[in-house]
Formats: sequence, C-alpha cells, structure tokens
Amino acid sequence: MAFVPVALLQTYSEVPMFVVRFLVRRLLQGALIVFLVSALIFTLLRVVPGDPVRLMAGGMAPEALIEKIALEMGLRDPIYQQFGRYIGGVAQGDLGQSFVRPANGAAVGGASFDDNTRAARAEVWDLIAQTAPMTLQLALLAMVFALIVAIPIGVAGGLRPGKWPDRLALYLSSVFISLPNFWLGIVLALLLSVKLNLLPAIGYNGFAYTILPALVLSVEIAPFIIRTLTVSVANVMGQNFIDIAAVRGLTRNQIIFRHALKNSAIPLLNLLGVQFSMLLGGVLVIEFIFDYPGLGRLTINAVMQRDFPLIQGIAIVTAAAFVLINIVVDLCATAIDPRLDY
Amino acid sequence: MRSTNMEKDKMDRRKFLGYGVAAGATFGAARINPDFFFSSAYAQDARPLMCLSAENITGNWDPMAHTTLSQFNIEGFVMGFLTRHPMMPEKPDEVVYELATSIEQIDATHLEIKLREGVTFHDGEPFTAKDVKATFEYGAQPERSRQVYPGMADSFEVTTPDDYTVLIDTTKGGYGAGMFIFLASYLPIMSAKDIEGGPNGPLSQRLNGTGPFRFVEQRGNDTVMEAFEGYYRGAPSVPGVTYAFVGDATTRMLSLLNGQADVIERLEPEQVETLEKEPDIKLNRAVSVENKYLWFRCSKPPFDNPLLRKAACHAIDRDLINQIMGTAGEPSSNFVSPIKFGYIDLENYPEYDPEECQRLLAEAGYPKGEGLPELEYITSVGFYPKTKEYGEVITALLQEQGFPVKLNVMEVAAWNERLYDRPGGGPGHMIDCGWTSASPEPDLVLRTHFHSSSKRICGIVDPEIDAALDAERDAPSLEARKESLQTNLMPLLAEKVPAYSLFTSVLMHGLRADVEGLFIYPDGTMDAASTTIG
Repeated sequence: MAFVPVALLQTYSEVPMFVVRFLVRRLLQGALIVFLVSALIFTLLRVVPGDPVRLMAGGMAPEALIEKIALEMGLRDPIYQQFGRYIGGVAQGDLGQSFVRPANGAAVGGASFDDNTRAARAEVWDLIAQTAPMTLQLALLAMVFALIVAIPIGVAGGLRPGKWPDRLALYLSSVFISLPNFWLGIVLALLLSVKLNLLPAIGYNGFAYTILPALVLSVEIAPFIIRTLTVSVANVMGQNFIDIAAVRGLTRNQIIFRHALKNSAIPLLNLLGVQFSMLLGGVLVIEFIFDYPGLGRLTINAVMQRDFPLIQGIAIVTAAAFVLINIVVDLCATAIDPRLDY
Repeated sequence: MRSTNMEKDKMDRRKFLGYGVAAGATFGAARINPDFFFSSAYAQDARPLMCLSAENITGNWDPMAHTTLSQFNIEGFVMGFLTRHPMMPEKPDEVVYELATSIEQIDATHLEIKLREGVTFHDGEPFTAKDVKATFEYGAQPERSRQVYPGMADSFEVTTPDDYTVLIDTTKGGYGAGMFIFLASYLPIMSAKDIEGGPNGPLSQRLNGTGPFRFVEQRGNDTVMEAFEGYYRGAPSVPGVTYAFVGDATTRMLSLLNGQADVIERLEPEQVETLEKEPDIKLNRAVSVENKYLWFRCSKPPFDNPLLRKAACHAIDRDLINQIMGTAGEPSSNFVSPIKFGYIDLENYPEYDPEECQRLLAEAGYPKGEGLPELEYITSVGFYPKTKEYGEVITALLQEQGFPVKLNVMEVAAWNERLYDRPGGGPGHMIDCGWTSASPEPDLVLRTHFHSSSKRICGIVDPEIDAALDAERDAPSLEARKESLQTNLMPLLAEKVPAYSLFTSVLMHGLRADVEGLFIYPDGTMDAASTTIG
C-alpha cells in the first residue's frame, strides 16, 4: 500500500500546473472556435436576402438615402473588410450597436427615413447583458427540475435492469421526448396558469415567471439524463468492485451512494455540459411562447429584424458560453475521476 | 509529511471547482427575488390595464414620424385630439369634442376652431391655440409621414387671434377649409414647446400630450403609462396602462385567459370561437376603418398597364376570401371602409368574372396570360389574420386565368422592408397590406396612396387620378365633396385599380369580463379614461 500515497503526492504537486496548462490550451482552442463561428455567421448574414439599411431607415426612405447610410456604415465594402473591422472591435470588447433597437431595448420596426434616434441605439453588449442572466436563470432552473425528476427514475432503472423500474424509465423517457415543446408549453400554460391559476405564464415580473417555461424545458432534457443514468448505473453495478464492496461489508445504500453514483457521474456530467449548452439554443421557442425576456426571444426578434450586429453578438457570446461550459465540465470530470486527462 | 502540508496550501482541482460552485451559487442566489416565497404572483390590488399588441413600435416617439398602428394606439392613451369620431355604424356622423369645443366653417376656405380652456400637457405646460397651430404646421412639413393632406404647410395659414381660437385659411391652397374638420380627429396635438425642438428634440424621445395617461417609460417591450391626475375630464380610475408587444397570437390569448392581460388585439377567427366559450372573457367586434388591399406595383411593367390590373381583379373571387376571413372581415366594394366619409358601394367595382378577365388579358396583349413574366406576390404572416390562407387562394385564382404568379410569404419585418414604392417600382409585382386611419377622412387613404405626390405603395402616377383627387379636395362644401368622391374619383379608381380592395377588416379585441368602460375606436385606439377593472 506504500506506493499509493507517493503517487497521490505526485499528482497533487502537479495540479496547479495542470490546471493552468489545461485552461490555456482549452481557452486558445475556444478562441479559435469563437473566431470561426463569428466568421461563418458574419458571412452568412451578408449573403442572405434582406437589406438591413432599409429596415433601419424605414420603408419610405429614398434609394439615395439608403445607399448613403449603407456607405457611411461601410455596409457596401467587401465582406472581408467588414469582418476585419468587426472582429477588431470584438477584440476590444466592442460588439457594436444594434441596427434597430433603441437604448431602452424595445423591439422596434421601421420609422420614417429621417429617424434621428439612431444615436440612441442600444449597445449589443448591453442588450445581451440584460437578457443573458434571464436565460441563465431559466436554463439552471430547468436543469434542476430535470435532475429532480431524472435522478430517482434513472438510478432506479439502472439498479434493476430489465425490471419494471427500467421499463418505467424507458417509457417515461419515450413519452417526454415525444412531446413537442411548443405544444407542451401551451398545454401547461392552459392547465397550470389558466385553469388552476397556480403560476403566471407570460412575460417576466419575478422569479415565479421562470417556473413554467423551466418545467417545459426540463421535460425536454430529462429523457437524456434518465437514459444516461440508467445505462451508466447498470454498467457500474455490474463491475467487480461493486461485488467486492459487498464482501467488504458495505451496506447496499453505501455501495449505491458512495460508489455506484459517483462512478456513474462522469457520463452524466458530460451530458449535462452538452445539454446546458443546447439549452441556451433551445430556449428560442420556449422564450417566444412564454414571452420570456431572455436571449432566445432577443435572438428571434433580431433575426426577424435583420439586426446583424445583434445576431453576431449573440452568436459569439453563445459560442463562448459553449466553450466555457465544456471547459468547466471537463474540469469537473477530472475532479471526480483523477484518471481522466484532457 | 512536507508534501502533505504543501498540499493544503495549493489550489487543487476539487478546491478550484468548489470555489467555482460557491461563486455560482452566490450569483444565482442574488438573482432570486425573495418576494416570490412570501407573496403570490397574483396578489395585486389596483393595477394598471394591461394591453397586448401584435405589432412592435418604431423607437421614435415623434407622432409625425411613423405610420405604425401600435404606436397610434399608444398615442391614443397619451395624446389629446381636437375631436374624436367614434364612427359607429349606427351613428356614423357623431363627433365628440375633446380639446376643441366647436369647429365652424366660416366660408369655403375659412374655419374657426374654439378650444377648451384649463387643459394642461403632461409636462405642465398649458394647452393653447399656439399648440394647435404648431401641430398643424409641423404635421404638414414635406418630410413628415403622418399628415399627407390636404396640402403641405405652404398651402394653408393658421392664425391665433387669442389663446383659445384658431383660424384656418386655405385660400393659398385653393381647397376647402372643411378638410381640416376630419383632420381634427386624426392629428394628436403636440406641445408647441416640443415642436420648437424639431425632429431632433424631445418629440422623438418621449410622448407629451393632454390625454388621460402620462407616458412614463419604455421598459423593454412594455410601454408604461400612468394615470394623469390633471386630465381635464377627471383622473382615470385605473392607475395606469401598460401596452406590451407580444409577437405570438397564442401567447396573447393565453395571457388573456389567465388574467395577465386585460385586452388583446387582432384575434384570429379560431381564437374568437375559443374565447366566445369562456365566461371570463368578452369580445369587442368593430367594423374598422381599415381595408385590406392587393397593391399593384404600377410604376413598372407589367402592372403599369391598367388593363392588366383590371384583368387581375376580375380573376379574384372575393366571396372565397370573405369565407376565409369569417368574422375578421366585412365585404365592401370601394377603396375605403364603409365607415369613412363618402363611402358608396361602387357599381363598377371589379367583381369575379373570368370571361372579362380573359378579354382584358387579350386586349392588354397577353392572351390567356401568354407572354407575362413571372409575377411575385408578396404577403406577410404574423400580424394581419389569414393573409397566407387567402394569399394562396388569390394565387390559385390568378394562375387559373393564366397569370404566372408566385406567392412569397414573409415574416413581418422582411415584408415591411419591401412594402413601399421605390424608384423603378417597389419589390415584387403585387403586395398585400392594409391601411387605416382614425378619422372618417377618405383622403388619408386615397390621396396618400393614389396621388402622384405620395403614392406610398403602388407608385402610381396618373394625371387623371391626380385631377380627380384635387377636384374632391377643392370642393366648396362637404356635400359637394361627397358628390365628387362618389361620382368622379371613386369610379375612376375602380376603372384604373392601382390597388384592389379585398374587404374591410373587422377588429376583434378580447377583453377580461371585469374590464368595464373601455371604448375601442374603429382604428384600434382605445379610450380608457373611464375604464374600471373588477
């Protein structure tokens, strides 16, 4: 047994360097990913039909004025020049100004062509900073709801493979995954808000307004967690060290909670990371249905209004969040299982 | 043991994560509103009237800088008008005097308006004749989009012999001063002080009126207004109005059903059926001042040819469209709504007639549609009810007669971008749109769209139509004007059809049953001065 402490000491003495190396490598990779996403979104936005200047200036604006504004804003320059300017700004923390939204954040349409409120256009960063915490709150609550439902069902299914808890987990997962989220959102709003008057459903005026959309989102995520847990718990429970644990005199609860669940957590953790990132994109429909003032609703309006800087800003922030979440997930995984090396 | 002690001082992965989780939890806890745990989300007493809109605003509060319905509705709460025309079918000529106490036509080109005393703007400035003068003159500036008739600011003169009398002289323009009678219910009266600041001044930053509610702020998609204690008819009963843009029709309906919203607009016919069965909901149905049109791009081929436009009209069976619209549409046969001044069912209005369509196609040089280029018909989804559904019917009917039509269905912002005329013709060849204005004045539609000085969507330039429009505008009396409209201009438009009016919209609003005393005008604006909730 003497070799074990030595190995551990070696591992721990390398930890800070490992964390630094890991973070530097992954952050550099992440920056590259964000750059590529920005370039892709930037180019795509400029090749799709729809002139944002006409939306900014209003439908009645003369063509000459449209061209004048477009030239002033550099929107008639080659795409690579526009991108160069844009990414230069991003590097300095400037995501630009929304084409159409005023500083108060309202969703707006075209005004007259001499609209002079352009100076009061909202900063993209401000719009994202106002809405991202709302989406984060929604996504976190959805994740909590999903875990509350999925852990007991998934673990029970994994502990009795082939028996009724396993089948229940499968059937429930199948039902949950088959429910379209827009339909479920409307049905739950009708049931819990209109009929039972338990929860508010539309807009946001306090934490209670997050519950219903989070419930809908959690139904979307829960099946993945249930299936992952069922499979990984069943897998762990079939391994030798679990049998040996019983011989060592551990109770069943000790085996499950101290050994089986901990070892099943790695695949779950990876899944949660991916699911959380997916949630940031998956809130589009839910936020629109519930009129929830988060990134999803902001994105839909930005797309509909051809608000290029806002769409680009959201894409960059979402890509960066995706990268960061995955770094955190990988760090968590190595903390749980030191054998893992990323 | 040395290494073990060092281990305590070092940041390991577990500690790193532990601190991370603690920081996250601290941040998350700060976002939770503790009130949620102690008070019900529904526990509210005197609360503002919550109205949900189907359309966004423009981001510029200058009432003369837009033609956006949702912003008209907000102005309806905040701004004051000289008169209001309820335009109810049973009393179409009713005039309600608000900031004006009387409007008298002295002779063909002179009008006298007497004003109410003791009225103040929300910023505390007293309302006087100079505000009316400034509003009329500012609204008639060539670069403003709201007021397009009866003529620009150099065609009339406004004088103010005292603080509460306004005289209008239209001698310079050569048209009747009676034109300003209907304008009185359309133009919101702005403060002369605000107007002095010009389009770059306070006008664009906030609303300042004499109406029952004071503009407080724009909070995201919510326009927040509060009751104006100094309102000349007495402070409103509700503490305020919140007017919010909610893009999805189902979301608006759910909000009404669960009591979060008090009023929602633009109900779809299916929603009407659902809401009719709900005991807590009541419906408001009003034939509106809005007609829905199929606009032809008249400034470019092939619809620069009136024969072809008329052929297209004869290909369209409006009975089918009215069936699709159900409760949301009302048949009409003119270019303005039946509740507008001068409306008449036109005898020569083009009706479904395939034979006549073929005859006109041949006469235009396109027998059975041969030789016609592919025609793009642009419509929108998300704002007007059933546009896609009846757009598909119109497309099929036109194709049946040989018009090679392709329907292009767009979301509202993209459609809006393509709506107006441009040099060389607007995008596509036909486009769907409605037009409304809170006044019986027909020229707010006819002159706006069919005079060569405005031609907003269709882009038509036709000296005969210009002459007919000028003739009715210049008529010496309302009776003479009505005759000119009904016997000259409107039949001429039915011959040249720069746009084809499909039907008159019926505005369907859903209201909570406990909302009393809310009056909804035929353009969708509301008077909530006497409204109570519960």
